[in-house]
Amino acid sequence: MEIRIQGVSKRYRSEGKTIIALDDVNLTIPANRIFTLLGPSGCGKTTLLRCIVGLEAPDTGEIRIGGQIVWSKEKNISVPPEKRGLGMVFQTYAIWPHMNVFDNVAYPLQIRNLPRDEIRQKVEKTLHFVKLEGFENRPATKLSGGQQQRVALARALIAEPKVILFDEPLSNLDAKLREETRKELKTFLGKLQITAVYVTHDRVEALALSDSIAVMRAGKIVETGTPQKIYFNADHQFVADFIGRANLVKAIVVAQENGHTMVDSGLGRLACQHRDFPVGADVTLCLRPEFIKIVRGEAAGAGNVVNGRVESLVFVGEAYEAEIRAGNELLLAKTHPDVPLKEGEPVSFSLDPEHCLLVAA
Amino acid sequence: MNPSRTKLTYSLLLIVGFLTVSPVVMLALGSFSEGLTAFGTFTVDKYVEAYTDPGLLEVMLNTIVFVLGSSILSTVLALFLAYLNTRTNIPFKGLFRVLSIVPMMIPHLLFSVTWALLLNPSNGMINVVAQNAFALENAPFNIYSLHGMILVEALLDLPVAYLIIAPAMASFDVALEESSRVFGAGTWRTLVRITLPVLRPAILAALILGIVRSLASFAVPQVLGMPGRVRVLATHLYEMIALGFATDYGKAAAVGMSVLATSVTLIVIYRALTAESEKYVTISGRGYRPTVIELKGARIPLFTVVALLSFVMVVLPVAVLLYTSFVPYTMVPSARAFSAMSFKHWIDVLQDPISLLALKNSLFLAVVGATLGVILSIFVAYAIVKVKSRASGILESLSYLSFSFPGIVIGIGFMWFFVYTPLYATIWALLIGYIATYLPYGIRPLASAFVQVHAHLEESSLVCGASPLTTMRRIIVPLLIPGIVSAWILMASMFVRELTLSVVLSRPGSEVLAVQILRFADDGLWGRLSALGIIMIFVSTMLVLLATFVGSRFRIGDDPGTQVAAPAVAAAKGAAQLA
Repeated sequence: MEIRIQGVSKRYRSEGKTIIALDDVNLTIPANRIFTLLGPSGCGKTTLLRCIVGLEAPDTGEIRIGGQIVWSKEKNISVPPEKRGLGMVFQTYAIWPHMNVFDNVAYPLQIRNLPRDEIRQKVEKTLHFVKLEGFENRPATKLSGGQQQRVALARALIAEPKVILFDEPLSNLDAKLREETRKELKTFLGKLQITAVYVTHDRVEALALSDSIAVMRAGKIVETGTPQKIYFNADHQFVADFIGRANLVKAIVVAQENGHTMVDSGLGRLACQHRDFPVGADVTLCLRPEFIKIVRGEAAGAGNVVNGRVESLVFVGEAYEAEIRAGNELLLAKTHPDVPLKEGEPVSFSLDPEHCLLVAA
Repeated sequence: MNPSRTKLTYSLLLIVGFLTVSPVVMLALGSFSEGLTAFGTFTVDKYVEAYTDPGLLEVMLNTIVFVLGSSILSTVLALFLAYLNTRTNIPFKGLFRVLSIVPMMIPHLLFSVTWALLLNPSNGMINVVAQNAFALENAPFNIYSLHGMILVEALLDLPVAYLIIAPAMASFDVALEESSRVFGAGTWRTLVRITLPVLRPAILAALILGIVRSLASFAVPQVLGMPGRVRVLATHLYEMIALGFATDYGKAAAVGMSVLATSVTLIVIYRALTAESEKYVTISGRGYRPTVIELKGARIPLFTVVALLSFVMVVLPVAVLLYTSFVPYTMVPSARAFSAMSFKHWIDVLQDPISLLALKNSLFLAVVGATLGVILSIFVAYAIVKVKSRASGILESLSYLSFSFPGIVIGIGFMWFFVYTPLYATIWALLIGYIATYLPYGIRPLASAFVQVHAHLEESSLVCGASPLTTMRRIIVPLLIPGIVSAWILMASMFVRELTLSVVLSRPGSEVLAVQILRFADDGLWGRLSALGIIMIFVSTMLVLLATFVGSRFRIGDDPGTQVAAPAVAAAKGAAQLA
């Protein structure tokens, strides 16, 4: 089911100050896709999720889920959360400690007064789906973090909702388990025809899981797109910087040539990915460390070749992280551990124009 | 904010404000009046009279020695025990749990009586045995003295002090000590420069709570102090209102005002200190193991000390009472004593109409009072935890005010109030007084129960399709059950044994168990006293078991063993931290 959010705003008053949690948000979440709301903490992503599920009431605007209006300030419609028929996985999992696994998972069906046999069957099926078969009679709080997370998922899925919402469901797991659970979750969701709205502040999680990502800042949606678009072709400096490590270099547009935008920067004249900036505009050049390919020694030649010197070198396991001094700029670059480099050594690198991203300064 | 919630908070403010503020206001007004029946005409005569009383100086000195002596002794003992338990390899550590919880089941009045039976100078059992064994002319011990009172009060306050200090000790990061050793300080220097200063807030909190408790203590000074004419403020106040021909409530209120002021100040300091000691919790990581000190040769002697202490605090009182209830008069255990045993005292008590009335009244107060108190506490705890507003903040402060109320002083305040209502000399006066004074005992466990019900638990039920009412029934109430049971147990067992408020408010017809026991003590009827005392302990144990059983019926799908015991243990711990 598609979710349409129009003109939704929400303010809080806290300790005498007004905090704008959502600022006129307009967003369409496509049906049967994994959609992620990504942003730093306090950007309003969780508030937006809680408005969709009905745990919070926006101050203005309208929210439709699959054509049904569930919230409208103007039309004075407010469907309570229990009538919206959604599934949700909470950050704390919200596993009820006084119930065992079976009762936790069966709860939504018990509420709907389904026959006992049918409940038993469905719980069995759902627990099988999340790989927890045989856990029915365990006290839910005695499970590990990953298992609790799957109980929460099973509970959210069992009533076969058309939309499932996730509020930072992996943030309570340790790093290794987080990665495993993320992969599992992707597999689970891939098998279901379901609209999933996923809230996180972890960019890797967002990139790995989503079909599309909306990046939020200060109660506004900054940019929406596929993970590839957000990573490689962001329109905003904030997004480019937030989604991955980036070297940001000030530049001025000098020309539009051969499908490239030419800029002057501290690294010299460079051909970059085409963007519709007027000549003379101040822009920011965004270079990801993994695309700065270093070779030893100075190199001559035209076309995006830059010379520099190794300023420092840090071994981080799968790579070296080198700081390269090129002109006045200090750039972070990742190099393969096989490339023998020494501090102070002259180096050069060439930049593929497709990976030279220009964003508004 | 939701308007119905605001309304709830304000009506609770009104109720709790009435319960806690009105006795204080009445006490203050009363202290400026001529007497109970001449209320309203302003006069400072009572203050002049009370504070120029030549006897007051001695009372003050006694009080200071008694209060400081017992609180310091209990804190030092608690430090010693906490250190042994958390930091050494002393055997049978379960004993410390017993020592910290079980003594609270034994009412202070009965504990004091036990010591009088053992150590009074004329026929105390230990004294008689010692006199016979060593052919002494005089009794070697006299419990009817300031020393005796300090010892007994310290033992009574020990569990509370232990429950404050032990957790602080357990959460103490040993690396702080270890680093001090590495930098060259010896064991002693480390103890003085590092360990004790870091534990300072907890130690001070235990000390201050000890002071407040012993200042309010009435059972010990009345049973052990009065026979030797050692008077402290609590018994001085009691004399003014209960003995002699001319009871003087105005003078009592004037003296009570300064006791109350001291107590309130100390509790304010105590609350600041406990907030401080949370800051001092030095460990938070996982996989933490404190290093254990090998006691080696001292292991068994130290264990013997702890075992002896447990015996003295848990087994001895009950044993002495049981024994005394069967022998015809106070005598040392011997073949003759055992052959003379009978149920005479039990029959006397069970045929005594006043004792039976007291039993009935106490049961009524425990069951009805605790139930009403818990219902009020549920709403107050909800308002404090879930409705965060300025009004609920005031409500919290108000509801903890009665913490600092010395029973006898607040009883005098209530007296001024009830005298003008038809409630005077009825059991309802006691009921209202009990709930007002012991409200924190209900609120504390329920507030922590509400804190545990994370908003997400409630919200996820709504998202699953359950209505707010179903959510209340299936999620919130079951999660609160342990808190409700704890609160009920705490209040009921406090009400069964209540003495200090009751001695002021109880009148012919509204006698309660503790008051009747005190009357037996005054008359020297030790046999009947012991029989009624055992009945009192039995009643309160039964109430605890019943509440635990009822509570466990509400819980589904959980490990029954631990769940059944949990509320009782939690209740006992709660009592310690509060009282």
